Amino acid sequence: MKPPNHDAVRTQLSRRHFLAAVSLPLLAPACLWQPYDAGSFSIPERSSVGLFPAGDYATDFADLVFRGFRELGANITGRRVFLKPNMVEYEPGTAINTHPHLVAGTAIACRRAGASEVVIGEGPGHRRDIEYLLSATGLADQLREQRIRFVDLNHDDVQMVRLRSWFTGLRELALPVELLQSDFIISMPKLKTHHWAGMTCSMKNLFGTVPGAVYGWPKNVLHLHGIPNSIVDLVSTIRPHFTIVDAVTAMEGDGPIMGRPRALGFVAMGSDLVAVDATCARVIGLDPAKIDYLRSASRFLGVTDDIRIDQRGESPGRYATQFDIVDALKHLRLS
Amino acid sequence: MQDRPSGVSGDSVSSSTSDLPRFRADLSAILQRARNADGGWPYHPGKRSRIEPTCWALLALSQTNPQPPNLDVLGRWPRHDNWLIDLAGAPANHAFNAIAALTLLQSGSTGTLAEAIVRVLIASKGVPLAPDPAIRQDGSLQAWSWVDGTFSWVEPTAWCVLLLKQRLARGPYPDALKRVRVGEQVLNDRACRGGGWNYGNANVYGKDLLPYVPTTALALLALNDRRNEPVVVRGLEQLERDVLSERSAVALSLALICLRVYGRPTSVPEQQLTQLILDRHLSPGYGDDLLGLSMALYALSDGPLGAFTLGAV
Repeated sequence: MKPPNHDAVRTQLSRRHFLAAVSLPLLAPACLWQPYDAGSFSIPERSSVGLFPAGDYATDFADLVFRGFRELGANITGRRVFLKPNMVEYEPGTAINTHPHLVAGTAIACRRAGASEVVIGEGPGHRRDIEYLLSATGLADQLREQRIRFVDLNHDDVQMVRLRSWFTGLRELALPVELLQSDFIISMPKLKTHHWAGMTCSMKNLFGTVPGAVYGWPKNVLHLHGIPNSIVDLVSTIRPHFTIVDAVTAMEGDGPIMGRPRALGFVAMGSDLVAVDATCARVIGLDPAKIDYLRSASRFLGVTDDIRIDQRGESPGRYATQFDIVDALKHLRLS
Repeated sequence: MQDRPSGVSGDSVSSSTSDLPRFRADLSAILQRARNADGGWPYHPGKRSRIEPTCWALLALSQTNPQPPNLDVLGRWPRHDNWLIDLAGAPANHAFNAIAALTLLQSGSTGTLAEAIVRVLIASKGVPLAPDPAIRQDGSLQAWSWVDGTFSWVEPTAWCVLLLKQRLARGPYPDALKRVRVGEQVLNDRACRGGGWNYGNANVYGKDLLPYVPTTALALLALNDRRNEPVVVRGLEQLERDVLSERSAVALSLALICLRVYGRPTSVPEQQLTQLILDRHLSPGYGDDLLGLSMALYALSDGPLGAFTLGAV
C-alpha cells in the first residue's frame, strides 16, 4: 500500500474537503486497496449485542454491568482491566461525558467479576486540564470513594506502536504505556451524534487514547489523516475487548459537545465494538453502511449486518428513534 | 530518559496556607526529591523524564532556590533535527521546545541550544486551512502547530510568541518579529467572542465555544506587551471572572502567573491554589501531578516572573 502524499496537506485545504479526500480510499473496492493484513483479523460469524434498560443515573450500574458480563460471556477473572470513558468537556446540563455513576458501577462490577486490578484512563482532546474535568464531572468523587486509580492518558509514558491497519497511511503511533500494559480494555463511550464523523460511540472513543503531550490538543494528526481512517486504525491496533455504552441520556444534533441531551434509557454492551456501534447507529436512525468508519471496519474488524447480530436484553426496536443531526450529515440517515 | 520511582503524596508539608515561605520550601523539596536520575522530571513520579515538566520544574526551582538548578539536562536531551524530542520516532512538540528555549533564555543562557530551537521554531509554520463555513476563523494565517504538518493552535502559538519576544528582547533575530506578528494575528483571530481563548476554535457551526482558563492565561502572557488591545482587555476580564470557580492546579497556577504579570489582584487565586495543593495534591492517593506542583511553585514564588514579563517589541 502506498501511503498518502502528506505534502498535499501543506497546500490550502478546507477541513471538510480534506476529510473527504482522505476518506476516498475507504470507497475504493476492497480488491484494489486493502490497508490491513487480512490474515491477522477474523470477523465472527455472529456477534452478540446487549441492550439493558437504565431509566436514569440512579440505576444500580454495578448490578447491570455484572449481569451484562455474564450474559455476554465476558471473562475478566484475574485480568488487569482498563476502563476508557469519554470525557471531553464540561458544561452543566449537557450530556457530553460518560456518566461517572456508570463508570464507577462498571469498576465495581469488574472487581466483582474477579478483575485483578481496575484502572480508569482518559486523554481529553480539547481540554488538557484533566484535574478540572475530573472535578467538574464528578468522576473525581467516584474515584476517591471507590479507590480507583486514574491515568491521564495525555501525559502517561508513551511507546511507539506499529499500527495493524493503515487507512491513515501512518505506520505507527505513540500510545500510552498504561493502556498497552492492560489485558482487558473496555471502551466506555457516551452515545452522541458527531458533526464530523456522524456518530461517536465505542470506536471513536479511542481518540482519547492518543497522547496529547505528543500530538497536541486537539489531536490534529488524526483529523488530518481522516477521522474515519484514524478511528479504524486505532480500533484495529488497540483491539478493545469489550464496550459499555452510556445511552441512558445520549446527545443529538451538533455533537459531540454542542448537541442536546436526549434520553434513550439503556446501556449497550458487547465484545464486538463494530456490532455494538452499528446497533447504536440504527437505534438513533443512522445507517451503519453510510458511516465511513463502520463500513471500513465491517470488512475486517466486526459485524454490522443486523441479521448476524444476536440481540440480548431488550430489542433495539424498543429504543429506535431518529436523532437530529447537522444538515451536512443528514444523508447518513436510514432510508 | 531514565526512570526513578518516587512519590510525593504524603510528604511532610506545612499545614497552613498562611506560611507561604514554608509552603514554598516544602514544595521545592518535594520537587527536588522527585527528580529522575537523568536530571529531568516526569509528569508523574516513576515515569520517564519529559520536556515540559522538566522545564517547569527548572523554572520553579530557579525562582525559589538560592542555588539555581543545573540546566545541563536540557543540553543532554535527545534531539532530532535540532528539535528536543521526548520519544524516538514521535514528532517534535513545538510548544514544549519553546518552553525549553524559554527556560534556557531565562537562565541567562545564550548558548547554541536555545538559538538552535529558536531557529527551527521560526522556520516552523502551521498548515493553512482554506475558508470553511463550519469554522469561523482565518485559516490562511500560519502561526504554530503542536507538531509538523498540522494546523495552528492557541497553546503552541502562545508559547512561541512568548519565546520569540523574549529572544528579541536580547537582540535582533532574522524573521523573528515577522513570525511574532503572525502569531499575534492568530491569537487575535481565535479569541472567543466574550473574551479569552480555548484550544483554538472560537466558533464552530455558528456556535460560540467557551474559553478555558489555562489557554486564556497563556495567550494573555504572550500578549502582555499589548495590554491596551481590546482582545487583551476582554481576555483579562474573562480570566478574572473564570478563575474564581477554577479547580485545578495547572489552571490556577497559569492564571496566577498571568494576573501577577499584569499587576492585577491575586490574593483569591493564590489562596485557592495553596488550599488546592494542600487538600488534594499532597493528600495520599492523589496522582502526584508534578507538572501542577511545578507550575504552582513558580506561580507562588515571590521573585519577578522574568520568563513571562515582556517589554515592548
